[in-house]
Amino acid sequence: MTRSVYVLGAGAHPWGKWPDKPQLQLAHEAMNLALEDASLAWPEIQGLVAASSRFEGGMGWGLHANEVVQSVAEQGIPCINVGGACAAGAVAFQTAYALIASGQHDVVAVLGAERMPKGFIPRPPGSPDDISDSDYLRWVAMGATNPAYWAIEANRRKFDFGTSDETLARAAVMMRKNASGNRLARFRAATSIEEVLASPMVADPLHLLEICPVSDGAAAVILGTQEYTRKTGRKQVEVAGCAIATGDFGDPARRIPTVSTNVLPNVSHTSEVVNAVNRACEMAGIGPEDVDVLEMADNTVWHLLSWPELFGFYEPGQGDWMLDNGKLEIGGQLSVNPSGGFLSFGEATTAQAVLQICELTWQLRGEAEGHQVPNATIGMSAVLGLGANGGSVILKT
Amino acid sequence: MMAQQHASTPIVEGLFEIVAGTPKLIGSQCHGCNTIYFPQALSCRNPKCRDKSVEQTFLPHCGTLYSYTVQRYQPPPLFRMDHWSPYALGLVDLGDGLQVMGMLTGIKLDEIAIGMALKLVVEPLYSDAEIGEKLTYKFAPAERAGAA
Repeated sequence: MTRSVYVLGAGAHPWGKWPDKPQLQLAHEAMNLALEDASLAWPEIQGLVAASSRFEGGMGWGLHANEVVQSVAEQGIPCINVGGACAAGAVAFQTAYALIASGQHDVVAVLGAERMPKGFIPRPPGSPDDISDSDYLRWVAMGATNPAYWAIEANRRKFDFGTSDETLARAAVMMRKNASGNRLARFRAATSIEEVLASPMVADPLHLLEICPVSDGAAAVILGTQEYTRKTGRKQVEVAGCAIATGDFGDPARRIPTVSTNVLPNVSHTSEVVNAVNRACEMAGIGPEDVDVLEMADNTVWHLLSWPELFGFYEPGQGDWMLDNGKLEIGGQLSVNPSGGFLSFGEATTAQAVLQICELTWQLRGEAEGHQVPNATIGMSAVLGLGANGGSVILKT
Repeated sequence: MMAQQHASTPIVEGLFEIVAGTPKLIGSQCHGCNTIYFPQALSCRNPKCRDKSVEQTFLPHCGTLYSYTVQRYQPPPLFRMDHWSPYALGLVDLGDGLQVMGMLTGIKLDEIAIGMALKLVVEPLYSDAEIGEKLTYKFAPAERAGAA
């Protein structure tokens, strides 16, 4: 038997570059905002699940939850630290959800806080310099950067569906337009197709403004039982579905940092995320057609065009028409990333999936000031992380 | 010592070999389901395969271009290349569902086309006075007819 789980509170520190704020401080500020939003304080928190960073803090062992608790409220609660690379926030959410749904705890917090190093994400230490490590091989044998993998996908899309450079650029323009009303976003100035296409080419066909940069940021959500959500007196936001998944053998996606792919027929592209989305939909008893808002990982403009197709929102190749005709804008047929997405935030890796859930919470409550999707009642998140990690959360009011 | 200084060796050991003048990528083939992996793998990854044991094999050295990009920014320092300039990275279909990424060579950047026939070649990536010349594999345009 499982219990229903609700989002009691959500909070996020604005995304940007914060050289004067350690990751721990970003974490505190996000937690404080989420607690305030839930009308709760630390004594009520019965557990903390953190999406662990590999870049800073965590005592070098990814112990971010412990670090936070030890610095603000030593009260004997369980601290769980989860990995999942850029999907870690979704893994953390799933973990906290299970702690409450199972009846083990009534109020659990989920946290992701990250300060990113500059430029291309470097190879982590501790791996062998030989063919057994793809992340060594891809650098030394061919210098394949992350954007190169996404660019190879985008070029194939151009070949398969005739996607134009203008349509790719339009996706970036839409993200900036959405971000212009979101005070948490880092890049909020409007842009144009001409400006996007005039930005430096990084990896053909992707320009600088079509690829998400890296940022610092932190986000937190507090989950709890129905009894607790009633106490807040706010509009109830229920977790209708949540799932994490890994990839399938034969998936044709170009998976960073591998240098080869074994492609089998009838296996979903980006199967780790598709699997998570399908399971979350099944759990919620809904289909893609029921979703009002999709917050998805737009590492590039290619993702914005392809992912909704992969999830079954519409046919492969139709994303171009949907975008070109304004169907993906705020209030369109499917509002995609009303927050402004990774392209406007920059990716603070482990915090990103938690931020997606904050955004959905605000959208469903009608509190997404400046970028509200009218009458949104069902929201879905979708995120991908290194190691073929996928996660998806569906919230409803 | 002088001879060693001028030795040419693969950028990573176990990546490829030159067999009778023809470069070959080294992979692993599963005994159970015949899937070929690149680079050499510890185990078969097919969830339906119960054998899982693999042995070293050579990959086909011809294929077709599935997609590509041109890297316009110099990758971070782990990557090393003499006379750096923007270069193409291709994803090459070698048959039976196996797609391999590698640098493209012997073709102008604006003449690369998805579907073109390619063959495996080996070229120097950089030279170092202490460790000699480092070679990597690349794909170059090939005649389509009779390529094998």
